[in-house]
Amino acid sequence: MYGYVRPSSDELKIREFESFRAVYCGLCHTLRRRGGIAARFTVNFDMTFLAMLLSAGEEQRCSRRCPRHPLRKRGCALGGRALDAAADCSVILAWWKLEDDLADGGFGKRLIARLARVLLHRGYRRCAAARPSFDSGAAAAMERLRELEKSECESLDEAADCFAGMLAAIPDLLSEDERKRVLRQLLYHLGRSVYILDAADDFEKDIAEGSYNPLRYRFGAQLTAENRETLQRTLNLSQRNMVTAFQLLPENDYSGILENTLTIGLPQMSRVVLSGDWKNRRKILREHVRRLRGDTV
Amino acid sequence: MNDPYSVLGVSRTASDEEIKKAYRDLARKYHPDNYTDNPLADLAQEKMKQVNEAYDSITRERSAYGGGTQAQYGGYSAGNDGYSGRSGYSAGPYYDARAAINASDLNRAEMILGSITERGAEWYFLMGSLNFRRGWMDEAQQYYQRAVAMDPSNPEYRQALNYVNSSAARPYRSTEASSVDPCRICGSLMVADCCCEMLGGDLCRCC
Repeated sequence: MYGYVRPSSDELKIREFESFRAVYCGLCHTLRRRGGIAARFTVNFDMTFLAMLLSAGEEQRCSRRCPRHPLRKRGCALGGRALDAAADCSVILAWWKLEDDLADGGFGKRLIARLARVLLHRGYRRCAAARPSFDSGAAAAMERLRELEKSECESLDEAADCFAGMLAAIPDLLSEDERKRVLRQLLYHLGRSVYILDAADDFEKDIAEGSYNPLRYRFGAQLTAENRETLQRTLNLSQRNMVTAFQLLPENDYSGILENTLTIGLPQMSRVVLSGDWKNRRKILREHVRRLRGDTV
Repeated sequence: MNDPYSVLGVSRTASDEEIKKAYRDLARKYHPDNYTDNPLADLAQEKMKQVNEAYDSITRERSAYGGGTQAQYGGYSAGNDGYSGRSGYSAGPYYDARAAINASDLNRAEMILGSITERGAEWYFLMGSLNFRRGWMDEAQQYYQRAVAMDPSNPEYRQALNYVNSSAARPYRSTEASSVDPCRICGSLMVADCCCEMLGGDLCRCC
């Protein structure tokens, strides 16, 4: 589910790269503050993207040490509603993902989910108390998804709508009105894209384990090249909706990174996932992640 | 009103060429074609209006010293207001459904269409449109395909399917400098010329 929404680091300006890393670190610190130590493990690029998207540029630059980099202080962006909202959503979404794994995963997945839930529980309670409507929305969406599973729903869009609707509810956490409509549209299609990519990525594994996968009812027990082409095309349509929405947002310091992610990073990622290369390239991309995070050692 | 130079994103000392380029880039971004059947079309229309006003304001100011041209991208003519300008649609529930879709009242449109039992090509087309606006792209494409299959001679259904297919062909970038499409430029100029001629001028002498 995570890791598809990232900028193409090759195309980022150095200033943008530094900015991205600062928000990533800032998000990690914010997670610690709002959700406890275990919440830190929910940090990812997707939520970093979310923080930058929601931001109105209110973050301050600070310098902090952290357990991962104890020797040198690193610059990070801190403060503001965007990071707080992204942190809370990150924990809540991670929690419901764990619940889903518990209900529908293989043996190993369920075991890890059980463990993780114990560690994340307190943080989840805090974040859910801060965002009750978002939390109940997420719970309702997961319930709806479960019902669609049982009815073996053939509509890919209807299944994707559950997750997409969850993300589209995030702008309601911000008090200002102007950008909400645009953000809702953008986040809806982001959620839709991530859901479809995740389904495509996990397709073989889900078929083998007997887990739910919406593509199975839409296309059958195997994904042909034509099916993959259909998926690529429907993702292109969502991507178009995301970029046309993004164009209507006021520009800020993060616009370059956000545009890169939507016009280069995400399409690149869709191609890699749909061609099946994502599994093979994990090692190379691990290196890519290290570079994006700024780990020099 | 906002500072026209900041709306176009240029400095006060920018040359006429730079201003023209900035205007063209923004017009390409907010062009109504990019927002067909898009729930945010009204916001794009507003943005387009601001861009046109800014360009007009700057050229008026500068033409006091000679030179400058009018805003070329009239943009949102009446034909872009949903389906009102198109021919051949039937009265009754389908008319109501179209009105609901135009007004972005998708729940109502779904209710109306759900109550129709005889489902011809127009039903599939309107379901496609409803789903497209809702963001259910996969369903929309299937509905449009079915509508065209049931009534291949209808230009409205075919146009909708073509739009979906061409948009789906590749990822989208807001300023596609490398993919300057001659058909798009020529088409846009023809439209601009028609608008200009309707107002009494003549943009392109050749048509």
